[in-house]
Amino acid sequence: MSSDPDAPSDATSTPDASRSGETLLETRGLVKEFGGLVATDDVSIDVKRGERVSIIGPNGAGKSTLINLITRRLEPTRGDILFKGESIVQMEPHQVVQRGISKSFQTASIFPDLTVMENAQIAALAAEHGEFGFNFLTHRDKLTDVHELAEDTLEAVGLLDRAHNDAEDLPYGDKRRLEIGIALAAEPDLLLMDEPTAGMSPEETQATVDLIEEVKEEMGLTFVLVEHDMEIVFSISDRIVVLNRGGVIAEGTPEEIRGDPAVQEAYLGGVEL
Amino acid sequence: MSDRNTTGESSTKSDGGTVIADNTLVARWEEIREREATVVGVTAICVAIFPWLFSRAPVISDVLLGYQSLATLILIWGIFAVGFDLLLGYTGLLSFGHAAFWGGAAYAAGIVANTVSADPIVMVVAGTAFAVLLAWVLGFLSLRRGGIYFSILTLAFAQMLYYMSAAPLAFLTGGENGLTGISVTPLFGVFHLESDLPSVAGTLIGNWMYLFVGVIAVLSVAAAYRILNSPYGMVFRAIRENEQRAEFVGLNVWRYKLMAFIISGAFAGIAGSLFTIHGSYVPLQSLYWTESGEIVIMTVLGGTASLFGPILGAGLYLYVENIVSGVQQLTIPFTDIVLINDFGTYWHLLLGLVFLVVIWVAPRGIWGAVSDLRALVRRLAGGDRR
Amino acid sequence: MSIVSELAVILLNGLQQGAIYVLLAVGLSIILGTLKFVNFAHGALYLVGTYAGLFIALDVTLSSGKLQEWGYGEFGLGWGFLAALILVPLFVFAVGLLMERFLARSFYDRPDTDQILVTFGLAIVVQELFRVLFGSNSLPFTQPEYILSVIPVSGPMQLPIVGSFPRWRLWVIAITAVLVGIVYLLVEHTDFGLVVRAGTRDAEMVRLLGIKISRPYLVVFGIGAALAGVAGVVGGPLNVVNPTVGMNILVPAFLTVVIGGVGTITGAVVGGLIIGLTQATLIGLPSVTIASFTLNFSPWSQVGLYAIAAIILLVRPQGIFGNEEVAP
Ligand SMILES: Nc1ncnc2c1ncn2[C@@H]1O[C@H](COP(=O)(O)OP(=O)(O)OP(=O)(O)O)[C@@H](O)[C@H]1O
Ligand SMILES: [Mg+2]
Repeated sequence: MSSDPDAPSDATSTPDASRSGETLLETRGLVKEFGGLVATDDVSIDVKRGERVSIIGPNGAGKSTLINLITRRLEPTRGDILFKGESIVQMEPHQVVQRGISKSFQTASIFPDLTVMENAQIAALAAEHGEFGFNFLTHRDKLTDVHELAEDTLEAVGLLDRAHNDAEDLPYGDKRRLEIGIALAAEPDLLLMDEPTAGMSPEETQATVDLIEEVKEEMGLTFVLVEHDMEIVFSISDRIVVLNRGGVIAEGTPEEIRGDPAVQEAYLGGVEL
Repeated sequence: MSDRNTTGESSTKSDGGTVIADNTLVARWEEIREREATVVGVTAICVAIFPWLFSRAPVISDVLLGYQSLATLILIWGIFAVGFDLLLGYTGLLSFGHAAFWGGAAYAAGIVANTVSADPIVMVVAGTAFAVLLAWVLGFLSLRRGGIYFSILTLAFAQMLYYMSAAPLAFLTGGENGLTGISVTPLFGVFHLESDLPSVAGTLIGNWMYLFVGVIAVLSVAAAYRILNSPYGMVFRAIRENEQRAEFVGLNVWRYKLMAFIISGAFAGIAGSLFTIHGSYVPLQSLYWTESGEIVIMTVLGGTASLFGPILGAGLYLYVENIVSGVQQLTIPFTDIVLINDFGTYWHLLLGLVFLVVIWVAPRGIWGAVSDLRALVRRLAGGDRR
Repeated sequence: MSIVSELAVILLNGLQQGAIYVLLAVGLSIILGTLKFVNFAHGALYLVGTYAGLFIALDVTLSSGKLQEWGYGEFGLGWGFLAALILVPLFVFAVGLLMERFLARSFYDRPDTDQILVTFGLAIVVQELFRVLFGSNSLPFTQPEYILSVIPVSGPMQLPIVGSFPRWRLWVIAITAVLVGIVYLLVEHTDFGLVVRAGTRDAEMVRLLGIKISRPYLVVFGIGAALAGVAGVVGGPLNVVNPTVGMNILVPAFLTVVIGGVGTITGAVVGGLIIGLTQATLIGLPSVTIASFTLNFSPWSQVGLYAIAAIILLVRPQGIFGNEEVAP
């Protein structure tokens, strides 16, 4: 459970006093109801630039829902979401991505019938040329910026040697890596990852954790991670937010969360730490 | 030529990824084949010799029983089908309302011919512009909802146009009788479309009408091929594969879908205008849902997500409709054993059955089957590059 | 005639026209909502219903088609209309079961477009088969005069306010109301209906809960088909009978579903009434003359139907009773 070398103060001081970075993402009184069910209950959290935040909680706690609200996949019932100080709650999902929030899905969400390279190129195209363009008579060989970014991305996630395979032929772990690659190619300021290691073998999990560590070091990326594997959560995060039944029940450094009786009670009761 | 896989492969080489080491004939052909100039050139040659083969060549044409005007019609529907496949095969959107653009453009071209100018180029431009405008409006309305709703709404709006031209707008469209009295003026004011080309060109290509349609067809194929190799081609396929992911990499999926719809509407518009020029008449039928159904059948039969499959499908459909349907007795070749009597009654039913079977067992159509065969040959010939 | 009675006639005509759409839309809608299956062959079931009804109820003489050529030009059982009304739904129910088993089932896991294409193909095959067998000519489907020889169902009927109105049209409204009422109770108040309702919301969930969903699916398909069959029987005498009726009625039926919202019976009923009333109103309105310009509404009756649909969908894309979160 090493704390991050870049932010040595995190583990020791109180969360609010120590963080000097600007607030990147902020939710204010966010509520999402599905019929009678309150899946997100008055959630107000903030994420600072450069910070790694994990969201944990039992199944059905509302973690995915919260992520989906931030990415604008779901419409909040009430509340506001600010990114870089700007409200994004009226925006379309692609506008949010263009502003710098990228998401890795809970399942390997890729373009199966396209090659691995094309998968990366799609994301690179959106990153380099924006949400839309009238370039339908431009041969794509001319878009060298897109090709370079796509290649760099594949290199970063270690899939360059498989660039010309169809994406659907990749083993599951590689698909998930590609999925993370697609999210990274958007060159986001904030990366949201919903259970990036779900369904992976132990080796694949390790490789993915290494990948996340690497990205964290190299790109200095801010990310919000939803994860069930406590070992990964405690080793990677600067701060942990615990959700239960839609609401935040605790928030703090890994050490604080580990010692929090409410968390022990609600969630970690059966888990060996 | 191109299909789903090879379009992908063309980027492969330009990315500087794999270098093909083997110099077998197959491999070299594969390389040349992908070049734009090759594709367009081969298309032009095929288009140029098609009417001769189909309607004048010794032996072949006697067997095929083809004729010049049908060759023209096949190209016209071929253009329609190429555009339709950009939407259905590549973007994954099934429109059941493309009769609106085909028929709409046909009417627009005809009305312009009757009122402003009957110059063939003016007619094509007017018809296509109308189709693009219409596609923009109908796309805006129909794409509000995805999946099946899109199919239903396009069908509904096209039917609305049909009923509009049937009665309330009959003063413009001629109502049930269709739009008549169109007399197309010579091309560039000089060349009568119905007159034959001089010397060899006359033997090969036939008349000015075919040349006019043929040039536009080759240009259309070139445009479609370029679109498929542009960022749009990639985005379209991405939307087909995983629309949600495309939105979440930051692409404005809605606008790309609208563009796919408008582009395919433009192709339908070009074809519809040519249809008016070719027939000097617009039947009310051209707006009816059956026309939308026909383009769906042609495209699927020929093979979706390929450039040439739909053209093949269009040719096959029209051939069966116009020539095979006239065959009264289907006999086993070189014998007198009668397979089916009164075959003309059954052709539509048989085509329907074939269509059903294709969807069921070979959703990639005839061209898909050909591609699979080619892949097999390539592997046997040792030209496999993977 | 007073304005009030004229309006009442328009209303009843709208109800009658809407009733046919409702019968088709309820089936389409529950199949689409529960099974997530798009059935472009639903019109073909109407076609089968109409011809089967004709065959059971009357004696018919064909003037074209292969059957006539082969010497079977006289057909029909002539058992009367009530027999048709009872037997046709059963028959089309069975056709629906076969369709589910042998066609729909293989396509549940394939993309929407494949479902549309294959059912469209089937619709064409059925239509062409009927054309080959029974010819393209329209067949006379005469209105029955009596049911059970005593209950009069044809001719005009004197109603308060409305005045005289075709009796048969009232019967169509009544039969539809009863049948749709039964299906509504079935779906809303039985265990079978629970599965349907749950399936509309989340088929995966129902599967996880361990309810074997394949049998209810079969029944849902059968009921939807049977309703289309009934529509064919009661609608037969009011419309022309030829091989194209199936595809022609499919479009308004689908519009009804889309306007009302997928998966809700209430939506199908309201959607059908909106479409029926729109059509009846435009047909029934007297022409208006302003200065020298005469505006005649009836040519717009078909167009109006689509315009209403477009407006409703612009305002409420999921349909009037549609649920945004669960819409497929
Ligand atoms: N589209 C939806 N419609 C209705 N209810 C939903 C929907 N999505 C989520 N829910 C409900 O909201 C609650 C929160 O779900 P969510 O997926 O956010 O949980 P989670 O914390 O991500 O769980 P897991 O750890 O299993 O991924 C659950 O009770 C779920 O059933
Ligand atoms: Mg989750």
